[in-house]
Amino acid sequence: MHIILSLLLLSSACARASDYHEQLNLRPLHPSLLLASFNFQSNTSLASFEQQNFRYFPRSLGQILQHANTRELHLRFSLGRWDAESWGARPWGGAREGGTGVELWAWVEAGSDEEAEGRWLTLTNALSGLFCASLNFIDSTRTTRPVMSFEPAGDHKNATLTDLHLLHGTLPREVVCTENLTPFLKLLPCKGKAGISSLLDGHKLFDASWQSMSIDVKPSCEEGSEDCQLQITQTIDMVLDIQRSKRPRDNPIPRPVADHDLKCDTSKPYHSHDTCFPLDASGQEEDWSLAHIFGHSLKGTCPLADDGVDPVCINVPHARHVYASEGAHEHKDESGYRRCFSLAPDGEFEMVLPQQEISEKAPLEQPLLYAERSFIGYGQESGGVQAILTNPSGTESVEFVYMETLPWFMKLYLHTLKAKINGLDEDIIKEMYYRPALDRKRGTQLEVRIIIPANSTVVLTYDFEKAILRYTEYPPDANRGFDVAPAIITIGDVSIRTTSLLLPLPTPDFSMPYNVIILTSTVMALSFGFIFNLLVRRFVGIDEAEKWDVRAVRLKVLAAAKTFASRFGKREKVEKKE
Amino acid sequence: MKLLNLLRLPAVLASLLAPVAVTAEHTSNWAVLVSTSRFWFNYRHLANVLSLYRTVKRLGIPDSQIILMLPDDMACNPRNAFPGTVYSNADRAVDLYGDNIEVDYRGYEVTVENFIRLLTDRVGEEMPMSKRLLTDDRSNILVYMTGHGGNEFLKFQDAEEISAFDLADAFEQMWEKKRYHELLFMIDTCQANTMYSKFYSPNIIATGSSEIDQSSYSHHADNDVGVAVIDRYTYYNLDFLETHVREPSSKQTLADLFDSYDESKIHSQPGVRWDLFPGGERGGRERLVMDFFGNVQNVEVDSVGNATEFKEDLLALGKKIAEIRERAEAQEAAKKNLSTPEPPLAGNHKMRKIRAAKVQADERSWGKTAVGVWALAGCSLVWWFGSHLESAA
Repeated sequence: MHIILSLLLLSSACARASDYHEQLNLRPLHPSLLLASFNFQSNTSLASFEQQNFRYFPRSLGQILQHANTRELHLRFSLGRWDAESWGARPWGGAREGGTGVELWAWVEAGSDEEAEGRWLTLTNALSGLFCASLNFIDSTRTTRPVMSFEPAGDHKNATLTDLHLLHGTLPREVVCTENLTPFLKLLPCKGKAGISSLLDGHKLFDASWQSMSIDVKPSCEEGSEDCQLQITQTIDMVLDIQRSKRPRDNPIPRPVADHDLKCDTSKPYHSHDTCFPLDASGQEEDWSLAHIFGHSLKGTCPLADDGVDPVCINVPHARHVYASEGAHEHKDESGYRRCFSLAPDGEFEMVLPQQEISEKAPLEQPLLYAERSFIGYGQESGGVQAILTNPSGTESVEFVYMETLPWFMKLYLHTLKAKINGLDEDIIKEMYYRPALDRKRGTQLEVRIIIPANSTVVLTYDFEKAILRYTEYPPDANRGFDVAPAIITIGDVSIRTTSLLLPLPTPDFSMPYNVIILTSTVMALSFGFIFNLLVRRFVGIDEAEKWDVRAVRLKVLAAAKTFASRFGKREKVEKKE
Repeated sequence: MKLLNLLRLPAVLASLLAPVAVTAEHTSNWAVLVSTSRFWFNYRHLANVLSLYRTVKRLGIPDSQIILMLPDDMACNPRNAFPGTVYSNADRAVDLYGDNIEVDYRGYEVTVENFIRLLTDRVGEEMPMSKRLLTDDRSNILVYMTGHGGNEFLKFQDAEEISAFDLADAFEQMWEKKRYHELLFMIDTCQANTMYSKFYSPNIIATGSSEIDQSSYSHHADNDVGVAVIDRYTYYNLDFLETHVREPSSKQTLADLFDSYDESKIHSQPGVRWDLFPGGERGGRERLVMDFFGNVQNVEVDSVGNATEFKEDLLALGKKIAEIRERAEAQEAAKKNLSTPEPPLAGNHKMRKIRAAKVQADERSWGKTAVGVWALAGCSLVWWFGSHLESAA
């Protein structure tokens, strides 16, 4: 991963006024999975951007950014769960990935908070139109202003830095589908027609075990010079199941394998024509090709891309056989686990990896922290959240910021926030920022800075209370539960997101039988009450009724005073007798 | 001279008649395609809408003029065995979701309020162009709706419903605001024909799948998808559009489309309402299918009389632009002169940003505890004294 980053840095250092490059990085993961990382990056000079002279920068997005005075933008569409325990560290250090659903954060230039909010509203609505996503649902209840978790990635002038407002919003419920990929591809200079973007196909991308699309726009300036550039980076990362990808598209449903296709371990003593022990295939590397995985092979190079960067790279040991189509040149890395291909400008590019018995595997990068989060507690009224954070390193302690954004109907009790380290209460919370929720106006925002010593586990817990919503506030599928945005863990440049949570709220029964029962019961209760009153109560004229006015009250008070006085008198008498 | 004038007469008459001929035509086509059902078992309603979407796109209406409302996600639904696809036929020949699709309203955004706001264009200024129906009095609109309905109502997402009266009023408002030229309303739901019975605005042709007290049925199911994939009425509409309206130059009329409905195949009685249309049934039957399902094909080219006139116009325009620019510059300069004495504000104001509060341990907590203890002790002392008095009494 560092190699790509350094490559990108190298190429951006010698960037021209506007340039574009793209790279696909493939990394097999265990077992029989493949991580495909697409990276598209283009630069344009800030001066020409301000004159609306877009070259590789997408005009549709550029005009939105100008209209909403947005200086830096990060937009994420993600689906699935990254299995850190078997897949290792996240691609790009988690920096190009968002929580489940849609996540957006931006630095908006504005003179006041109200102005910033107005521009944020413009931005989210415009982006919702551009990306066919319900980004307009990021309203004040879903918007936060993180203090510690996010730092501007771009180089902003000091003068404007004070006027920049960071706004962050998430939509954990939002689905990500082809209609989001379509506009994403339209932003690319080659529009998904040529180059590595021609491999992107919704049918494969949305079949992935985990996938993330990201768009980052930031200004980058060379040190000490006024020459600034606006950089747009688009990435798509996906983890594809090789066996699943190889199924025919018109018949993707797994069906029982025919007898003669079964791979049996013939060394077993009980092996016979009707008994089969599956052959252990863990030592074997699966065979696959680009056409298998992505549905078709790569359609030439993007003619707008720079020649300096090899468009396709794969992280496998050098001992693994990789056959590429004619015209492509292989460049092997010194590390022994990476090779890149430069392609012929025209013609299709295909890469085939045959089945091979190989014990050597490309090493996995260990993540800095394992994080998981779940609900604890029971009942309709309250509950709790538990986050388990493990530092796997044997030597290094990890300092991180844990950020939680909760919807307003999940009322956090801050005094119940506890951090236990290896089961012991210890003061490991270094700093904490909190903004409480207001009903229907804003959500809770909590940021905690924690240090975990080497080889230990921190369990962070807190309790909350569930609010009862108004009838019209329930979504059409209220019984499904309410999605709670993932927690964001920031360790310097690395970030980790937990999965989102599904919170069941006390939900009225919207069904017809329930409403019929309620209505009938009401009618019965009313008629019963009426008849009961008629039977039990005595009805008298108003003049016969017991009076309840000032005089009556006075009389009552007097009577009470008299009895009190008589009791007092009796006591005295008793005392006298003694 | 007189002869010349006489010769000119036909030309003058023609120019007088020309606008009349033009008003009978539309200059743009829009489609509003709405599915109103959530949940996986309503797969067929999304497939209905998406097959209509593919058809109008095939016949030339661009994505920017199609408003597509999908209340649930079927293509990327975890229950879908075919990720990223929606099929409207068990043969699975055409993937309706495809590679290029733009959904304008999706998920919880598909509500009665948003639908009526879309039709009447009563939206906030932050609403992006792609989610607005930017029609005018020369636009033909196809409104297609499908979902679960009943007598004079159509349910949205199983949570709310739109009534036939709401819809009729929305269309009337559109007519008053000159938001359509002609409108074809098509609906596939149970008791569909009741939905258009309350319309009262002109230039509307309406058609529905079933009479009052009649259900609208699904056509067939796909066993691998696991649910019904299309409704009967939509299926036979599509069948006609696929087999008879093959290219944008098609001259098929609405009469051909409506006459193709076969009640024995649809299993319900489709209805058509002509009385709001100028010329009634006879006028409506002559309308081309392409007037609503396709985009305008004929391009009007203003014949350029002579090149010199055109150049003169251009020159005059250029002069005017220069004049306006000069004036604007002069104004700006004047403004600058005025504003110079004011002191620059920038950098002077202090920004107060909304921030989360830092949570800190209270250092004076002991003092506060002591005060609390004293207050409590005082209260209990008073109570004890009171009770002592009472017992003494």
